[in-house]
Amino acid sequence: MSNTTPPPVPPTGPGSPRDVPPVPGSYPIDPATLPDPIRDELLAPDPVAIDTAAEELKDGANRCPKCGATDIRQRPGTDLLICLYCRNEWHGQRVEEEFGFGEGLDELTGTVIASGARDIDTDVSSLMTYKCTGCGAEVTVNTESTMTARCHWCRHVFGVNEQVANGAVPDAVLPFHIKKDDAVARIRQFVDKRRLFALKEFKEQFTPENVVGVYLPYMIVDGKASADVAGRGEIKTREYTQGSGDKKKTYYDADIYEVERHVDFTVDDLPLESSTERGNLDTGVNTNNIINTILPFDTKNAVKWNASYLSGYTSEKRDTDVEQLRPRLEDQLLSIARCQVEESVNRFDRGVRWEQERLDVHGTRWVAMYLPVWLYSYQQGGKGGMLHYIAVNGRTGETMGSVPVQQWKLLLAAITVGTFLEGIALWMLGSST
Amino acid sequence: MSDDGGLALLLLGPAGGAGLYWMLYRYYRNTDKSHAFERETVVDAKPVTGAERDRKVDEIKGTRESRIQGDNLRDYRKRVQRIRGDSS
Repeated sequence: MSNTTPPPVPPTGPGSPRDVPPVPGSYPIDPATLPDPIRDELLAPDPVAIDTAAEELKDGANRCPKCGATDIRQRPGTDLLICLYCRNEWHGQRVEEEFGFGEGLDELTGTVIASGARDIDTDVSSLMTYKCTGCGAEVTVNTESTMTARCHWCRHVFGVNEQVANGAVPDAVLPFHIKKDDAVARIRQFVDKRRLFALKEFKEQFTPENVVGVYLPYMIVDGKASADVAGRGEIKTREYTQGSGDKKKTYYDADIYEVERHVDFTVDDLPLESSTERGNLDTGVNTNNIINTILPFDTKNAVKWNASYLSGYTSEKRDTDVEQLRPRLEDQLLSIARCQVEESVNRFDRGVRWEQERLDVHGTRWVAMYLPVWLYSYQQGGKGGMLHYIAVNGRTGETMGSVPVQQWKLLLAAITVGTFLEGIALWMLGSST
Repeated sequence: MSDDGGLALLLLGPAGGAGLYWMLYRYYRNTDKSHAFERETVVDAKPVTGAERDRKVDEIKGTRESRIQGDNLRDYRKRVQRIRGDSS
C-alpha cells in the first residue's frame, strides 16, 4: 500500500485496540544499526501474497485455446466456458487445487493474502482503458459494474483480467449455476407465499423477469484460532412448590459453578462481504441481511478468475481491505467458538452466563471471490424509501426476500384476532364469576 | 378465579394481536434472518477442554427463576468482556 493513502479506520466498540498499529516495514530504530542476526530478520522479505494473476490473460483478450477467438461466454448452468465462434468448451481451473486453498488449515500462521485480496489503492481509477490487440483502437471498461466490453470497431471482446489495485479483480469466481428461468420461478414461488398482506403497489408492479444476475464481492477466509470463555453455570439441586391452589409457587435450589472452557478450531471458507455497503446489515435502513442469509456458497468449486464468466452479468466492486474486515472475522470466530463449547456445558441445566471471552487467531488466509446472486429489487415509496431485495443463491438456489407489507391490513388482522381472543377471555371470566 | 389469573386472561387479546403482528411482519420482511455461520461453516474443532476445572463456588436457595440470570449460552453473537492476549 502506498504511504499516501489514509490508514484504515481502527475498529470501534468494546475491546478494540486503542493504538493504531504502525505501518508495515517501519521500525522505531533503524535496522542498519542493529546486530546482524536481528537486522537480517527484520529486513527479510515479507511473505508474498499468493499470485493468482494469470499471465496469459494480461492483455485483456481472453482467447479460445483452440481457435483464438475472443467471443467467449459461460455456458449457462455449467462451469464451462464456450467459444461462440468454434463452439469449443473448456473448464476453468479450480482455485482450490490450483493454489492449495483447501489444504494446510491446521498449519496456518500469520496472515496469508491472495493477490486479488490485496489492499485497494484509492488512486487507481475504476475506469480502465485497453488497447485492442485486434485493431489498435482504445476500449474503456468501467469496473464499477462490468468486467467485459466489446471493441466497437473489430468486435473483439475484452475482459478485465489484470489484477489492478482498484479491487475489481478477485482471485476467483464462482459461475452461475441457477439459470434465469429457475431464479424467476423461485422468486415467484417465494412471493406467492406472501401475498395476503403485501403492499398493493408491490403486487401490482411485481415482475420477477426483471431479476438481474450480479456477481457480489466477498472475502473467503480460512482461519485457525483458539478461544477461551469463562463464566458461571448453575445446576438445579431441588425443585419444590409452596402454597396451595392459586397461591402455589415453584422454587428452585441450585449450585453455582465457575466454568471455563478452551477450544482450538479451524474454519474453512467463511464468507465475509467485502463491499462496505453490502456489509452494512442494519435491518432498520436496508435489506442487505437478505443477501447475507443466502450464504454460504459451494466456494470449493470456484474457478480461477476469467472475466468471460461475467459477460452478460453485472458485478460490484470490492472496497474493503483485509484489515478492515478483521474485526468482523474475529467477532464471527468468537461466535463460532461459543457455539462449539455449548455441548460441553450440558450438565449446567439452569444455563450458563459467559462473562469473559478471549480469542487467539493463529493464522488466516484471505481469498477475494465473486459470488453469483440473482437479485430482484423493489423500491418502496419512491426515492429514499426502503429498497427491498429478493435474492436467489446462484449456486444452491436458496431464496430469501423482503416483501413490503401493507401496514393497515396487517394491523387490522392483528386487531381483529386480538379482539376475538379478548372476547373469549371476557366470556370465560364472565362465566367463572 | 384469582386476580392474577383474571389479569392474565384479560391480556390474552392484546398479547395475541401483537404476537400475530410480529410473526407476520417477520414472515414477510425476514428482518430476523442472516447467515447462520455458526452452523453453516465447516468447523474442525479439537475436543473442548476445561471441564475438569469446573469449581463449585456458591449455592442459591429458594429462587423463583427457572434459569440462571443473564443466561447467554445460546446467544453466541452477544459479545461479553473481551480479554486481550498477546498473540491476538
